[in-house]
Amino acid sequence: MIRFIIGRILWTIPVLLLVILMTFLMMRHIQGNPFRHSERAVSPEIQANLERKFNLDKPWYEQYFLYVKGVATFDLGPSLVLRNQSVNDIVREHFPKSLELGFLAMLFAVVFGIPLGVIAALRPNTVFDYGAMLFSNVGFAVPSFLIATLLIYFFALKWGDIFGLPTSGWTGWQSKILPVIALGLGPMAYFARLVRGTMLETLQQDYVRTAKAKGLSGRRVLMVHVLKNSLIPAVTAAGPLLGFLITGSFIIEFIFAIPGIGKYYITAVSARDYSVVMGLTVLLSVIVIVANMIVDILYGVLDPRTREVRT
Amino acid sequence: MSRPRKFGWGVGVTALLLALAFAAASCGGSDSSSGSSGGGDTITVNWGTEPPSLDPGLATDTTSANILQNIMDPLVKLGPAPDLKPIPSLAESWTETDGGKTVTFKLRSDGKWTNGDPVTANDFEYSWKRTISPELAADYAYQFFGIVGAQEYNSCKSNCDALKDKVGVKATDAHTLQVKLTSPQPWFVQQVAHTSFLAVNKTAVEKFGDKWTEAKNIVTDGPFKLVNWQHDSRIDLVKNDAWRDAKDVSLKRVNGRMISDGTTAVQAFEANEVDVTASLPPDDIPRLKETPEYQNYDALGTYYYGLNVKNITDVKQRRAMALAIDRQTIIDNIAQADQEPSTGYTPKGMPGFDTINPHSPWLPASGDMDKAKQLMSQVDNPKKSITLWYNEDPAHKQIAVAVQSMWKQLGINVSLKAQEFAQYLEFLGPPPNKAVDAFRLGWIGDYVDAMNFLEQWTCKSGNNNTNYCDPSYDKLVDQARQTPDNDARYEIYAKLEDKLLGENGAVPIIPIYWYTYVQLEKESIKDTYNLNLLDQVDLTKVKVK
Amino acid sequence: MVVSPQDQRMRSPDPAHSGDIQVAGAGTPIRQSSLWRDAKRRYVRNKGAVVAGAIFLIILAYCIIVPIVSPYDPDEVNFQDRFLPASLAHPFGTDAFGRDLFTRVALGGRISIMIGFAATFVILVIGLTYGSISGFVGGWLDNAMMRFLDALYGLPYLPFAIITLAIIGGTPTKWTMVLALSIASWFTAARIVRGQIITLKQNDYVRAATAVGARWYRVLARHLVPNTLGVLIIAIFLELPGVILGEAFLSFIGLGINPPAASWGSMAQEGRDVYRTHPSLILIPSLMIATLVLCANFIADGLRDALDPRTKET
Repeated sequence: MIRFIIGRILWTIPVLLLVILMTFLMMRHIQGNPFRHSERAVSPEIQANLERKFNLDKPWYEQYFLYVKGVATFDLGPSLVLRNQSVNDIVREHFPKSLELGFLAMLFAVVFGIPLGVIAALRPNTVFDYGAMLFSNVGFAVPSFLIATLLIYFFALKWGDIFGLPTSGWTGWQSKILPVIALGLGPMAYFARLVRGTMLETLQQDYVRTAKAKGLSGRRVLMVHVLKNSLIPAVTAAGPLLGFLITGSFIIEFIFAIPGIGKYYITAVSARDYSVVMGLTVLLSVIVIVANMIVDILYGVLDPRTREVRT
Repeated sequence: MSRPRKFGWGVGVTALLLALAFAAASCGGSDSSSGSSGGGDTITVNWGTEPPSLDPGLATDTTSANILQNIMDPLVKLGPAPDLKPIPSLAESWTETDGGKTVTFKLRSDGKWTNGDPVTANDFEYSWKRTISPELAADYAYQFFGIVGAQEYNSCKSNCDALKDKVGVKATDAHTLQVKLTSPQPWFVQQVAHTSFLAVNKTAVEKFGDKWTEAKNIVTDGPFKLVNWQHDSRIDLVKNDAWRDAKDVSLKRVNGRMISDGTTAVQAFEANEVDVTASLPPDDIPRLKETPEYQNYDALGTYYYGLNVKNITDVKQRRAMALAIDRQTIIDNIAQADQEPSTGYTPKGMPGFDTINPHSPWLPASGDMDKAKQLMSQVDNPKKSITLWYNEDPAHKQIAVAVQSMWKQLGINVSLKAQEFAQYLEFLGPPPNKAVDAFRLGWIGDYVDAMNFLEQWTCKSGNNNTNYCDPSYDKLVDQARQTPDNDARYEIYAKLEDKLLGENGAVPIIPIYWYTYVQLEKESIKDTYNLNLLDQVDLTKVKVK
Repeated sequence: MVVSPQDQRMRSPDPAHSGDIQVAGAGTPIRQSSLWRDAKRRYVRNKGAVVAGAIFLIILAYCIIVPIVSPYDPDEVNFQDRFLPASLAHPFGTDAFGRDLFTRVALGGRISIMIGFAATFVILVIGLTYGSISGFVGGWLDNAMMRFLDALYGLPYLPFAIITLAIIGGTPTKWTMVLALSIASWFTAARIVRGQIITLKQNDYVRAATAVGARWYRVLARHLVPNTLGVLIIAIFLELPGVILGEAFLSFIGLGINPPAASWGSMAQEGRDVYRTHPSLILIPSLMIATLVLCANFIADGLRDALDPRTKET
């Protein structure tokens, strides 16, 4: 047991170092000068001052070492472009907003998606089913930039007087409604289809038929057995979805001018703010990798069979 | 089922990790509700982008400059067009001695920092030397290189204190600032209006280090105070009642949003979330022009196409390419913001413009395709296949596509290549990458003298991406630098323009148009909300109807 | 590979397949002819899949044929004809340069679809290589390769796509887009292939082949890889929507391919600026993307029914 846990943790370290190294090397190959913001040339002296200040004049392995050391102490370094902010400041200020957007979109998806799927499954091949599935197919396929644009046009501009929703920003609950819908519609469709599929399947299972035969009321069967079992895959899918909702809201943040990490990431790449891009990429990777590690360990602890297979 | 179910755990663990990492962080203050122009003395503007820094020493962009001009007190301000003569602000007067090589500013005695300290000449000496210092590594340190010893101090690697003391900036007493220049620089006093020359508060800077510009730490001395800065989201200012002319300031509060995307910004304006916004999407301008809120201003800038003279060697071909561009059509259909087709490189609005402008025969507003074709036919060894570079941006792309089709009529096959801005600038050099035949760029003035534009085309200039190099041009630039008399200097500038774009000009560049700034402004402030040639607004003058 | 529908790649939500995909024939020796004939029969029974397949073919035909027969030069600028409304001469109207939108949407479709398929193909090739090496060799190598995948599972691909585009530099060409879209997206494919190979390895006929002394590469090439084909065909249509949306997303934030060429994503981006006055410029390319994504999804459903009959016996 102990051996398994230690082994799993030890496996994570080289992977982490490798991912940091890969990101680091990738960043080094991006062309463009983070210190040149406009047409104006940067004189060699000033460029030299800047490189010295940010340790860019050191050999790459030394920079890598310094960087890993920083990551180990939760210090992602200074921003090269936002001269008065560190990457930690940026994460601290922008990440919670993306996090909130992601969680709310997830909530929206669950609250509306699951009932939609249930309705569709209880009346398969009826108007309800087709309606629900049409809706969820649209949510699945229409690109979020179109959805966002249409939502803003109708609910903030054309009927703005009625709904009173702002077009942009992330202040107050009103401003959060449209972006959450725009981001949550896709996952909502996903849940609806997922739940419909599992429910249809569960309803065919022997134990449901048995329960019905035993005279249990339809509603009780539905609540106790079917719904419970149908939700498992939905919960299963929620994890990976959530991770992506938090980081994957680039377009939504851009269109709604939400000061989240996704919008910031794009700005940082185009400004060649190496340390910010690296910091955010590494942060994201570390979270994913460590989460995977913890999950694996929990599984090993709870279910010895997986441990055997793995070692 | 074991693998899929694993992700049920994944939810929990991921969420837990995220929560642990950021729970502490998310306290950052509750977002006060936005709201637009509520009262008669509050407005909401769209600053556009997050200012990279509000440290006057480090600020390089227009957003930072715009905010700094309103929260800090410059020594001098620029007067009205067309002369843009420096007018007193914190400096009540200045004198030039030693043949123009020494400038002495006399400061007012009622300047006051928001922490109660008086603003003194020592603050300026400290601030300027701080900006020049190699430790701060300021991009705009070069603005100070006209001052004795500044360049030496900036490029110093060790034991810099001795060099610091040699920099020609000295507070001879609390209200007198003496500046020694390397040569007479008639534009120096105007240049001091630039944000790089603002003072910072030593106490705040030393106490808070890098974080001194945050809203809770910052100490300023201008008509407005910075009260709220949520990064990438909003910057709010309130009137500084302790400022010397506070009685003339009508606005009590200026809320500022940061909406960088043009379409999003226009939507916010139409929903009354902001009262002022720039960055209008060009293709949407025809619609917006019809509204009473549309406003445009002259800008001190030139949008141009550069030609790599080492690749396109025949001057006749370069002239033909210039003639082939129908710039009025580009303005009417693509740029659409009432820009003016340029007839020279130095933009309209520059002091001495009427003397300097060459009325280039190669730049008729609507082009001259017949003459272009005729010239092209005289080219011995024409380059029929060229690559045109631009930086990734919808408007630049559209203009490039239009120019591509215009040059095609000359029999030139143009392939378009785009890069992101940061990489693009590296790629252009100087010297430009060999693959560059033609490229687009723009130049916006740092200060109001044509020198800022024309010295760009000297052989050693860091901004000459054309490979154009004419020693006689450089000699004239040097001569202009030594000429303090404005009219005489403008005459030399005219000769420089002539070398570039006159009848016998080398045409290394094809100016397309002179920039304008276009904005939407709510009618309640439209009369008093005005941009100057450098894209800055003086909020002390704004009044809400 | 983590899933998210918008801006991200998304797999079809069928619970029976949320883990590994199993395909008919995986457990039995190949019965080429009847397997595929059965599959075809089952596919045709799924009406949604048939309609989706038909629409997919129509879109393909439109994208291929229209630019060839169109009387308009899709790149020629003609400012007199800007923003013309839809008419017989211009079924979709014209854009900001007076170019015929019907022709340009078809060209944009060629690019979007080409990039979609090419990136999917690259993802599957990498996944197939990685997964089959891992699954076939087994032992410590398998262990190490899977540990690596486990750790990266769920890593969002978009940041890496954006960095990749920045590294390659310049305006992306079709091929740099393909590379960027596939560079951090092959983890799932690798996992599926490995699972399939490991299952196959247990089969009698593979053991038999090994027992009679067939070389490993022969076993791999003749028995193992062909039997993952079904999985891969399904996987193509499962990955496709995500890749197409991913390309649209990158184009939308301005990282699209070189003009005058354009993909549906970059056309939608240009259209957004004028959506108030000319809504068709954002609507048409966006809806084309939506249609294509939906079709791919239904086709994937149909293919799975066809190639994996166990799930839909009822």
